[in-house]
Amino acid sequence: MIAIDSIDVTVSGRKILHDVSLEAPAGKLTAIIGPNGSGKSTLLKALCRDYAYTGTITLDGRDIAGMSAVEIASQRAVLPQSSNLPFPFTVREVVAMGLTAGRPGVHPRALQHLPEEALARVDLSGFGGRFYGELSGGEQQRVQLARVLCQVWEPVVDGVPRYLFLDEPVSSLDIKHQLMIMDVAKRFARSGGGVIAVLHDLNLTALYADAITALREGRVVASGRPEAVLTDEVLEAVFDVPLRVGVAPRVGSFVLPQSVGQGVAVEVA
Amino acid sequence: MASIMTLPASGTLTRPEGDRSHIGRLTVIGLVFALLAAMVLSMTTGASGASAINLIGSWLGLVPADDPALLRDHAVIVNIRMPRMVLGVLIGAGLAISGLLMQGLFRNPLADPGLVGVSSGSALGAVIIIVLGGTALAPFTSAVGIWALPAAAFGGGLITTTILYRVATRGGQTAMATMLLAGIAIGALAGAFSGVLTYIASENQLRDLTFWGMGSLAGATWIKVLAAGPIIVVALAMAGFLSKGLNAMTLGEATASHLGVPVQRFKRLTILAVAAATGASVAVSGGIGFVGIVVPHLLRLVIGPDHRYLLPASALLGATFLLMCDALSRIIVAPAELPIGIVTAAFGGPFFLWILLHRRSAFAW
Repeated sequence: MIAIDSIDVTVSGRKILHDVSLEAPAGKLTAIIGPNGSGKSTLLKALCRDYAYTGTITLDGRDIAGMSAVEIASQRAVLPQSSNLPFPFTVREVVAMGLTAGRPGVHPRALQHLPEEALARVDLSGFGGRFYGELSGGEQQRVQLARVLCQVWEPVVDGVPRYLFLDEPVSSLDIKHQLMIMDVAKRFARSGGGVIAVLHDLNLTALYADAITALREGRVVASGRPEAVLTDEVLEAVFDVPLRVGVAPRVGSFVLPQSVGQGVAVEVA
Repeated sequence: MASIMTLPASGTLTRPEGDRSHIGRLTVIGLVFALLAAMVLSMTTGASGASAINLIGSWLGLVPADDPALLRDHAVIVNIRMPRMVLGVLIGAGLAISGLLMQGLFRNPLADPGLVGVSSGSALGAVIIIVLGGTALAPFTSAVGIWALPAAAFGGGLITTTILYRVATRGGQTAMATMLLAGIAIGALAGAFSGVLTYIASENQLRDLTFWGMGSLAGATWIKVLAAGPIIVVALAMAGFLSKGLNAMTLGEATASHLGVPVQRFKRLTILAVAAATGASVAVSGGIGFVGIVVPHLLRLVIGPDHRYLLPASALLGATFLLMCDALSRIIVAPAELPIGIVTAAFGGPFFLWILLHRRSAFAW
């Protein structure tokens, strides 16, 4: 369980987060939503100790302020929003960096082929020999996810759950890979690990999140199960747009990720 | 998707695509032999016809030990060539490693102690000792003896590296232009102070300064080896512990810390190692440029940027490169010799321009 207990974050003299609390249990995918500048990424950065904060954050009951970088790295991995590399690493070399850092939790013999396994999971089999800098933005994002997965490959090691912090993991991906990556995150949570993801797409959030925390101007507006947070009132309060939940438009075409596979399902039925 | 269980257990049968560690290992091994060859070359070439083979023969009892020519050879080889060779190895390795460490710290392949003012800072430290060591700073120089010069150069390098890092890096990001320009400014400032000291220097000190500043291994003595050697060896040993952190740092400071690198401590150690290696090298050899940029760059093209192999390979190739340049500097205008800084610059300058041109083509660096 990651427990954030009323933290404040001030960056360059400006208070970004006000009294934010959040609980993200292992086994669940917890989504953070909110408009631009609402403090989502700041919250994640405080969680990663990139920003100083007041208040307490605990990881399975231990205050993270007192943990060493190595200790934390063996219990949680962080997917950054974007990474550029100054040197010409191959894709495999980038992914393998996840091995040297954390604690994959697999047998040492399997370790050697873990990068290939991780690349397959993000649909990049055969990309190992390519140069990272030559890939598209979406491919680079998936390479980083493969690296992050290597760091905490087994969601639970010795009965202790591990966590993934994902900052907009699907922001530059096409719809197929958005679903694929969210499936990877969901699978990690189903296997006993914890996931905290900053998400922009409300439909993907509805489809995958077990719990949602909505932020606006650095404060928690709503927190709880998706049905409780994704309501007309909350969404309007958070995003300042009169959205209606569960209402199909009367005119024009629309595509929802929820529709995947449903055509087939109807025919079979 | 292949399951982990069905893949070969040892991994020797299938080498994963994009895994260049075998090239790294082979290169390091090859460079060990290259360095050994360069060391032999360095011991056997020189202005005098001293024969290292005869000397070894005499140790084995094959050549009479009281041969007067042999005694002269013994003096030349043991007191002139050998310290020069040892110093060349230490300084070559030290300069290459300090370049590599700076490139990793600044996440920038163009960072080099010579280019961004760290060498100038070290040189200022050394100039202060050369000019003021006998007068104003006499208590210091008499207290630390032969280590006064390297210690002062280390201090100068440490101060300039720290200032450079503070100026050029914000929130873990270094802007290339800021770094290079800050380096020019810091180098100019250090140069100005050195200029003032040169102005007040006595005639003897001026001669010392001139020869020292041209960059040379010519004045190598065992005393100099003793003065600079331990500092460089410590810096190299420190660098050995930094390779994992350097790899992680290429992903950015924040990600490095997420990967378990204690970033603040890592940066302090790296700056210390850079200042130590640069300072000690500059103190005993003056301005030998371009080793720190040519060597790591060349190796990145061959083995990739994984610092676990890049670090030892750079140390080995740096030492080999400097010994070869030194041998060349002794041969080209024999029996006189060129300052080695001229030779390294003759190789390094064009190479540096080539890097700049090459970098424009997408992702070649």
